[in-house]
Amino acid sequence: MQWDTTVSNEEKPNEKARAIRARQRAIGRELRRMYDDVAQEPIPDDFMDLLRRIDDAEDARTGKKVS
Amino acid sequence: MVAPAPLRHEPGKDAGKDDGDSDFKNELLALIPFLRAFARSLTGNQEGADDLAQETLVKAWQSRATFIPGTNLKAWLFTILRNQFYSDRRRAWRQAPWDQDAAERIPGGGEDQVFSAQLSDTARALRCLSDEQREALILVGAGGFSYEDAAAICKCAVGTVKSRVARARKALMEILDGDDTLEGVSRPAEGDAAREIMAQLDRLTPTESGDPGGKRRPK
Repeated sequence: MQWDTTVSNEEKPNEKARAIRARQRAIGRELRRMYDDVAQEPIPDDFMDLLRRIDDAEDARTGKKVS
Repeated sequence: MVAPAPLRHEPGKDAGKDDGDSDFKNELLALIPFLRAFARSLTGNQEGADDLAQETLVKAWQSRATFIPGTNLKAWLFTILRNQFYSDRRRAWRQAPWDQDAAERIPGGGEDQVFSAQLSDTARALRCLSDEQREALILVGAGGFSYEDAAAICKCAVGTVKSRVARARKALMEILDGDDTLEGVSRPAEGDAAREIMAQLDRLTPTESGDPGGKRRPK
């Protein structure tokens, strides 16, 4: 099976290749951490105001009273 | 990372409103954190990013009739955000006369330099990548998008995304480990002394291009 060949090659990585992969994983974790840090921040009030304005505009458009 | 389940429409809340619109708005709300994260990675600063994310929400709301329910809303929103980012930047380039103040108002332009002093090494290294490599790496490596979705967002072939991600990863590692691209702003972490010495030796050695210590930007 071709799959076996691939695996057997990757089973004997030299130290440098292994170090590079470990380093890549560490950088990948750091990238995800940066992204997740922003995603986990509380949503600023500006955004909630914006959605509220969208709502009000929608009410006005459909002829409903803005409460 | 797993996207949170979209908020369901609560009966009684927004009574009388169109259910579809209300659902759509709840789903927008749930995706705001990811819009902010993607915008931050594109612009490199918080204020510009939040403006961009808000513009995206307005555009998305105005275009909601063109969204096909059941398809990937997150990818749809990211596409809008990315389009908005590049169109804002083109407009800034067209309108602003070239001076330092203008450069600093351009998202992804001069501001990066100002803000980079407050960022981690990885964040600063990310600013050294090309836009194409950076967005591909963020979408796939941090945002958890498939290569297929990332290709749709970036309007390019799946193979192109794969090669951009691979090149971005390689470039990031080269920038972070011994390359002199971050010269002047790099703060080697503890235990990096040997690497820093090697990097300094590299700077003393003329490069192939005959430009010792020259600023290299990976493409």
